[in-house]
Amino acid sequence: MAGQTDMELIKNGIRMDGRKPDELREVKIVAGVLDNADGSCYLEWGNNKVYAGVFGPMECHPRHKQKADRAIVQARYTMAPFSVNDRKRPGLDRRSTEISYIVSQAFEKVVMVEDFPKASIRVDMQVVEAHAGTRCAALTAASVALADAGIPMRDMIPSCAAGKVNDVVVLDLNKEEDNYGQADLPLAIIPSTGEVVLLQLDGHLTPDEFEQAMDLATSGCMELYKKMRHALENSYGGKA
Amino acid sequence: MSEESSVTSNRKLVLPGDLMETKSKPGKGIFRSEGRIHSSVVGYSNDKSGYINVNAIAGRYSPKVGDKIIAICVETGPSIWRMDIGASFNSTLHHSESSWKVPFGDTARFLAIGDAIWAEIFMVDAAGTHQISLKKDDCRKLYSGTIVKVNPTNVTRVIGMQGSMISLIRDNTKTRIQIGQNGYVWIDGEGKDIALAQEAIETIDREATSEGLTKKIEKLLEK
Repeated sequence: MAGQTDMELIKNGIRMDGRKPDELREVKIVAGVLDNADGSCYLEWGNNKVYAGVFGPMECHPRHKQKADRAIVQARYTMAPFSVNDRKRPGLDRRSTEISYIVSQAFEKVVMVEDFPKASIRVDMQVVEAHAGTRCAALTAASVALADAGIPMRDMIPSCAAGKVNDVVVLDLNKEEDNYGQADLPLAIIPSTGEVVLLQLDGHLTPDEFEQAMDLATSGCMELYKKMRHALENSYGGKA
Repeated sequence: MSEESSVTSNRKLVLPGDLMETKSKPGKGIFRSEGRIHSSVVGYSNDKSGYINVNAIAGRYSPKVGDKIIAICVETGPSIWRMDIGASFNSTLHHSESSWKVPFGDTARFLAIGDAIWAEIFMVDAAGTHQISLKKDDCRKLYSGTIVKVNPTNVTRVIGMQGSMISLIRDNTKTRIQIGQNGYVWIDGEGKDIALAQEAIETIDREATSEGLTKKIEKLLEK
């Protein structure tokens, strides 16, 4: 956010990768790509590449984390060492711990956790290539993987970011816009009700700009939701 | 009427959260929100005799009392066995529910880790734990043979209409086959027959949603 650059991030209403301010990067979603997981998904979003695998519901370990009346969602977000320019030290760090936590919280709102007391649902997300917006990409992929695993839930949750670049509110920031832009606002919603299950904000937005960014991110989520549905329909060879 | 056409004709794929336009009562794979009925899983909806159900395409086995299943021993206690039945939790087999007279602490002599049984589920409680029994009908320990795991949602496909698919495999491979409701399938016979039956069953599992499956399996078995 705080970085300085001479790059013109937006020029005549066109962004540096040729998109309009309200345009998403290209998204490709494939469900059911891994044999050993109960459910899985591979997602490409611009240059982001994410795998998600779901296991469960199964007995929760360690036992002290069990809830007597419901299941817990144990999400785990990791980035591959080769996913970024500077080699990333593998393993959990402060950032991935945070993302794992917020993803767990988001899914506990939609998954019917009350159907599986004492159980745990494991959601593993592996970022293979990162180019800004990986938490949204990972959450979206995990959502499709959960549906693919046959886990009952109220809805799938698409996630998409909006932000501010050169004083323009834009949808779905890319790497340069994320590094040198003025704000980043990742959002995840439940499409059927419009409820917000994840909302973060990095940078500065005026109240007006915030409203604008929320509307933009919401529309991005809805567009993404269609693609998620399409991916599942394709993988099961039916029409919804 | 072939089996395929009846399976594929009135099916409709629904995804989690989809609103179901129906006056029927909610069955399984369904949740209610603000008086309206939604699907909670990926599956095919089915609206008949006053109930709407969504039959999930994927998901773990959820035990029901009376189901005949195949269980594999994963742990032995002084008077119980813990059995893997492919559900969220392992099932308990108490020594009093077995057909043997087990001395305290001597459970492994009768059923060691890795041994399989044909059993019935006789208790499921609200907390999700369940117990199985060896004392019903034809329940027994399974000697020899091999176990193939298929998705429990595809068990009906493996069996076929009135057992058409499974008798096709049985007759063509000269094997003994028992299918647990949990998706564990026991096959016994000659080595190469088992391999062929296993291939057929795995093909059904992999292509359960495709059409013309019976013909494909017939062709596979003719080899």
